[in-house]
Amino acid sequence: MAHYLVKRSAQILLTLFVFLSLVFFIVNAQPGDVSSFYALNPDIPPETRERMQDLFGVNDPLWKQYLVHVRNTFTGNFGVSFSHYPRTVADIIRERLPRTLALFLTASVISFYLGFALGKIIAWRRGGWTEYTSTIGGVTLYTVFTPWFGLMMIWLFAFRAGWFPIGKFLDPVLWRDAPTDANAIFNRMILSAIVVSIAVFALFAVTAKRRMAHSRLIRIGGLALSALAVAAAWFATGTGYLAWDILKHMILPVATLTLISFAGTMLLTRNSMLETMREDYVMAARAKGLPEKDVRDRHVARNALLPIVTSFVFSLAFAVDGGVIIEQIFSWPGMGQTLVSAALTEDLPLAVGAFVFVGVFVLIAHLAADILYVYLDPRIRY
Amino acid sequence: MSPQRTYSQTQPSLWKARLTLATRSLRQSWTLFLATRIGVIGLAIIAFYALLAAAHPILMMFVWEERVYDPVVGYAFEETRQPAPPSLKHPLGTDPLGRDVLSQLMFSARSEFMLGLLAALVTVSIGTIVGAVSAYFGGVVDAVLMRLADIMIMLPVISVLVVLSALIGVEHFELAIIIGIVSGFGATGVVLKSQALSVVVKPYVEAAKTAGGGHVHVIFVHVVPNLLPLSFLYMMFTVTGAIFSEAVLSFLGLLDVRMSWGLMIHVTESAGYLLQVTEYWWLIFPASLSITLLCSSFYLVGRSLDEVVNPRLRQL
Amino acid sequence: MHYMTRAGAVRAVDGVTFSVERGQSLGLVGESGCGKSSIAISLLKILPDSARILSGSILLEGVDILPLSEDEMREYRWKRISMVFQAAMNSLDPVYRVGDQIIEALELHVGSAPSEAVERVRELYDLVGLNHSFIPRYPHEYSGGMKQRAIIAMALACEPAIIVADEPTTALDVIVQDRILREMRKVRDALDMSMIYISHDMAVIAEVSDVVGVMYAGRIVEFGETKDVFENPIHPYTRALMSAFPSVTGEKRELATLPGEPPNLLAPPSGCRFHPRCPYATEECRSQPPPTVRRGVHWADCWNPPEDQSP
Repeated sequence: MAHYLVKRSAQILLTLFVFLSLVFFIVNAQPGDVSSFYALNPDIPPETRERMQDLFGVNDPLWKQYLVHVRNTFTGNFGVSFSHYPRTVADIIRERLPRTLALFLTASVISFYLGFALGKIIAWRRGGWTEYTSTIGGVTLYTVFTPWFGLMMIWLFAFRAGWFPIGKFLDPVLWRDAPTDANAIFNRMILSAIVVSIAVFALFAVTAKRRMAHSRLIRIGGLALSALAVAAAWFATGTGYLAWDILKHMILPVATLTLISFAGTMLLTRNSMLETMREDYVMAARAKGLPEKDVRDRHVARNALLPIVTSFVFSLAFAVDGGVIIEQIFSWPGMGQTLVSAALTEDLPLAVGAFVFVGVFVLIAHLAADILYVYLDPRIRY
Repeated sequence: MSPQRTYSQTQPSLWKARLTLATRSLRQSWTLFLATRIGVIGLAIIAFYALLAAAHPILMMFVWEERVYDPVVGYAFEETRQPAPPSLKHPLGTDPLGRDVLSQLMFSARSEFMLGLLAALVTVSIGTIVGAVSAYFGGVVDAVLMRLADIMIMLPVISVLVVLSALIGVEHFELAIIIGIVSGFGATGVVLKSQALSVVVKPYVEAAKTAGGGHVHVIFVHVVPNLLPLSFLYMMFTVTGAIFSEAVLSFLGLLDVRMSWGLMIHVTESAGYLLQVTEYWWLIFPASLSITLLCSSFYLVGRSLDEVVNPRLRQL
Repeated sequence: MHYMTRAGAVRAVDGVTFSVERGQSLGLVGESGCGKSSIAISLLKILPDSARILSGSILLEGVDILPLSEDEMREYRWKRISMVFQAAMNSLDPVYRVGDQIIEALELHVGSAPSEAVERVRELYDLVGLNHSFIPRYPHEYSGGMKQRAIIAMALACEPAIIVADEPTTALDVIVQDRILREMRKVRDALDMSMIYISHDMAVIAEVSDVVGVMYAGRIVEFGETKDVFENPIHPYTRALMSAFPSVTGEKRELATLPGEPPNLLAPPSGCRFHPRCPYATEECRSQPPPTVRRGVHWADCWNPPEDQSP
């Protein structure tokens, strides 16, 4: 197992270097150097421009520039943003990365869970009415023009029904007299989400091992209890209304992103289940007299999970792109929106910085998928 | 007799035999394809848009007055208010700049097809060669190509295009080439390589090598033709990806194109009509629906071809 | 039992009747595609979606299991009737420990506590000759022969009245095959259970079964005590099968291969189903279903049986 993980990590590190080289190559294939972009902005004093030239080492030979580029990536030094002057790129990314992660991870977890559960069911009831409608629905969600879908969600649930705010991260009116700033609140929210997830995960692990009779009841109860505890803690500190505001802004983009990416998982689960159902060990499980539900969940779905985790890497790029689009549509100030607006204003340092972070994020997710795979497949574990 | 003479004599008959086999399996595949239903639906949608695209130049030449109906610079002079609702003269109304929506829609259909086709051709040419070469030579060549493929697979294409659009002016041609490169060296190349692996171990490849066929000859005459059915399948998925990416980028206003479905929604957004869905439906629905429909139609055709090629997905 | 395919219904098993006594072992032999495995999965009612049992009855200790619901049927599976699968390599779920897969069946049917179940798995491993250290290991760590033993141990777990063994040794090399056959016979004698043994290999069947049924194109064409069938085969197909395999006793003779292939069951041949490949086929064979020739319990369906040579 260690051998496999080391090998994969080395491969991913290699991939990271090739990726950074690609970025460097693309940026340097342009006429002029990075600092010439700053020259276009009258707000930026010449001293800053010179500092930038130093930072990127534009007067050095190309190989040195490349090393500087790699070093800057690892130290997170991407220079000064051109559209958010005088903030540094690193500062902007530090503020926005958590927002993207919160949006993206929540949507990914929910969509994976839903997609897997639904794909399981439609594969089991082959040929029925359920399969037909969910396949059509799945394909529609999978190929729908994402910006339009996001727009329809906003129009339906925010504009017409008025249940949610129309885009953005928070309501500025509400926050005018707020005791703390939004980033502090948001970081605390993420912290509580992590605590709850760990608690729930532990609960699931314990109930799964013991195969308790009321495992479902315990799980749901535990989930409700921990959610309640967190909510109580928030309102006790008096900042609950602010957290609630951010949460309200988050629901619709999360729901939209979930709907878009869940279809892919569902269709994939269905195909994977159908292939696994033909395996001999499934017939053996049935011959053992296991109830259909156990055959489906313990044997078919458990094995069907493996190719799904593998193809997670394939779908990751798709999901990241979906996140970029959704952030733009919902004006959610995360990495995706930063990337797009940086491109629109030709803010090169910010665009490159954001893009490198997106790439690093994809690579980390890739590594996470590898580790998960090792955990799931005993054939690799030993 | 020189070896070259033998080649030129055997080759036509080889291709003839291959053609006969291909037509026979094509007919069989067609029957299976028709049975999948979803593929037929997809094909019908593609045909509908192909008709729209083909009809546009004819209408412009014989029916529509150019200064009114031109998709980019036309203006509906007779309407008092822009955007004007649908009327007999403008079946889908006009956009905020007074241009005919139907004409824009039909004009864009053609460029979407050309974009999709170009991207698919680039993808499949690269993917087939990468797959065949990687499987045929193995070793270092394979390792390098597959590492490259790893990166390409992980690249979020739209994000890459967003960054590139800040650096260079991206038009349809560049877009198609970039998508073709990413997909051809990436996922399509990997899938075609796994197929090619089962081809290179076939006796006839060994025989061709023993008979003194050069690498290029064996790859292009014996390996590549056997990858073509699968390549065709992956062309469909590339078309979906290309049309989708184009629509997103031009919707974000990052693409230098004169007119496209994505740009139509972008214009609607800049003019502030985006959330008046019921009042100005013709500004939003025709373009959005067209993108969705054309994307899903190629996807559906790809899916049902997948069922034809991969019998394990078929229902008994 | 019929398979529904796009091209129509395939009658994989058609008009087959047999019975097995307690402690007896029945061998079913025939070429691949003649319906042997279809019988096996029909007995446990674990048919794929495309297959249906249209009529007939399967009596297990006097109870007809065909009309039973899925829930009722589950009570019979493994507890009363279990199975050793054709592809032992793939019959163990790769993501669970082998011991846990046996315990899964035990907990379900015997309702034993975890510690008892582990104890029982140890007994089973002793019985089939596997080392205890392999209980908590995964299938990919087992060799082919060990997987087969584990599968047999699993089949024995709930002490079923009858075991269906579908080509249990086909994928193994001859030495391992022989050892496992001996093991199975020993276990059967020790536990006094019935066994249905399915194989295409006449030599294997001769070694393990008391009575034997020869199957061709979804039907049993010859049936009788193993000794009778092997010494005095009636049906030309049985004779052809026997001459297609080398004799274990080393008697030298021409190996005859059977020409042609088993018929397409979408449209079985008229009359005797074997007639297109039968060297003795006459006009009657082509048009009329053959009569049953009986010699004691030994019988066969044939128009032109050879003379009775038994003393």
